Amino acid sequence: MRPAVRVVLIPLCAACFVAIGIAQAPHEILLSRQIMRESHTRVGDIVTLATDPHGGRAMTFRVAGVYEPMPDPKQFTARRFEARLHLPDLIALTADPGDPLSSESVDAFNLTLADPKDAGAVASIIETRAPGLLVESTTSSGQGDPFAVLDRFHWAIAVVTVIGSTAFLLALMVMRVEERREIIGVLRLIGIPPRSILIEVLLESLLIAVAGALFGVLVSLSAQDAVNRFFQWRYDTPLVFVRVTGSIAWKAVAFSVPLGVIAGLAASWALLRRQVVSLIRR
Amino acid sequence: MTSRALAWRTMTAQPGRAGLAIAGVAVIGALLFDMLLLSHGLLLSYRALLESAGYDVRVVSVDNPIVRMPIPEATAVARAVERLPEVREVAILRRARAAVLAPGRKPADVTLLSVSPRADRLAWRIVAGDDLMVQQHLTDPPPLVINRKLAETLSLSPGSTVRVRLALADASALPAVAFRVAGICENLFDTAADLTASTDADGFERARAGFGDEAEVLLVASRPEFGPTAAVAAIERLRPNLRAYSNEQIVAQINENGFAYFRQISFVLSSITLGFAFLLIATLLTVSVNQQLGQIAALRALGFPRSRIAATLLWESAVLVGVGGVLSIPIGWALASILDRILRDMPGISERVHFFVFEPGAIVVHLGLLAATGVAAAAYPVWIATSLPIAATLRLETIS
Repeated sequence: MRPAVRVVLIPLCAACFVAIGIAQAPHEILLSRQIMRESHTRVGDIVTLATDPHGGRAMTFRVAGVYEPMPDPKQFTARRFEARLHLPDLIALTADPGDPLSSESVDAFNLTLADPKDAGAVASIIETRAPGLLVESTTSSGQGDPFAVLDRFHWAIAVVTVIGSTAFLLALMVMRVEERREIIGVLRLIGIPPRSILIEVLLESLLIAVAGALFGVLVSLSAQDAVNRFFQWRYDTPLVFVRVTGSIAWKAVAFSVPLGVIAGLAASWALLRRQVVSLIRR
Repeated sequence: MTSRALAWRTMTAQPGRAGLAIAGVAVIGALLFDMLLLSHGLLLSYRALLESAGYDVRVVSVDNPIVRMPIPEATAVARAVERLPEVREVAILRRARAAVLAPGRKPADVTLLSVSPRADRLAWRIVAGDDLMVQQHLTDPPPLVINRKLAETLSLSPGSTVRVRLALADASALPAVAFRVAGICENLFDTAADLTASTDADGFERARAGFGDEAEVLLVASRPEFGPTAAVAAIERLRPNLRAYSNEQIVAQINENGFAYFRQISFVLSSITLGFAFLLIATLLTVSVNQQLGQIAALRALGFPRSRIAATLLWESAVLVGVGGVLSIPIGWALASILDRILRDMPGISERVHFFVFEPGAIVVHLGLLAATGVAAAAYPVWIATSLPIAATLRLETIS
């Protein structure tokens, strides 16, 4: 007998223990990929499900197949030891003989509404008519949604990163412009107006900023696969953790290009305001 | 002139550039500091919260300390556990969902709690009115201590009378029972959205109409001479159908499951931040060295040894990273309080739990990592400065 493993049964949720047995079993069961791997079970094996760790109230089943549990971001750290069995088998396994209501009890109902906008009203009606039931909409309301909170957290981190990199960018641009101090002085001496020089700097900054932004998008596009593979391996899930969408790429470009141009202009402006003589002084 | 003085002069010659570079290091360093605080913050905070309750073992009915199923015959189980030599004290925590009905207000769905008399001293802090144990004899109506959120929602104050109806799992229709609000409290484990009310064992029994003797969790304090590990083993020997967890085991499970995401994001962001700081400092120093190639060649021609040139650049890097690193600590702390407020909007997070917790070790690690980054970032510009051909550089500088 192989070691018992705790599993969650679907469609009704109940903690059970599965062990590999040898008896014939007419009932069929599907096991999740994760538990099949952990318990070294194969399709066609006979397994025993019990409702307590000591093997009490057990039933045997034949493994009819393996399935991948539906990826759920709220459960990505959980080990998905799950099984699917026919409802009569589940009731026979888990119902309490001393409680006639137990075979009529379920953990949850899923409802599809005619109009999803009515979710709040429907929840209110059900909670009023059946005190004790918890009714929740599956649509994210933003408030109390962990992913909305994580989104705000990542935004805050992005803003801080942009502030830090802006300071560095300005420092670099100041150095680059300082490097050209003499060239700008000579250009001014031969009669090129400051406005033309500023336009040249603007175009150069724009070119560099666009190239930098596109390079950044390319780096993130090539890195997303590695990040996804790492987290999918770490949590044994097909969930996608990073996806560089068109909207995200546009936001990044829309942030970084103006930032680069402004940094270039700000650094040049200080130099162009100086006297020509001070620019060519060695 | 020493290398340090030369580095200082080079930097102060262009204060704007140096100031911007230091500001960049300070902001990026602040982010690094925050990620170091985040890497352990929730665990430290959660451990402190568990320990502040005064119990080091929790007994539940399923093999998960977070998921709660009722423990049947809780009083008998608690007495049996309390007789174990490894155990000093046992408290019973009962919890049920209930509706609180106040005159002229919509019913509020709350969590009704009942904890053993000794445990309630640690479970909440009274902010107005009286605690449950002020009156030692049974009162009619029984007392209720409510949290601030519930008091605000239903406009209740000490002395108000409310009716409480329990909602059982099978939706039995229990009668509403009258309670008197004895006090308003701050509960140890409440989240910002929680509406909770606590009563004594008698009040809970009345609300439950004597429906079974179930508890959600038994809180156990082990004897110091045995410790929580021995208490856990003794309880599981005594009651194999129950699961006992020490605070350390609970924190370890949170670390493995719920906290794993934050630990990893902290690691990833710390690495990216360090890489970012390295690239930027290295770029700044390299550009700076390229601008000073003529001066460096002249100094070398005058007899300055390579080591002094290298030391000067290392000092420049040290000033950038040192001043920026020191500034990053207060900036990081201010930023941590903003990020903490954002993350504490997560559902199910107690108001007493924080994601960013200050620990002196984090400062040491933070400054150490920044110092290592500064040294590494200076390596390439140092190589350029120390290996440049003196005559060719001077000639190029003269004819350009």
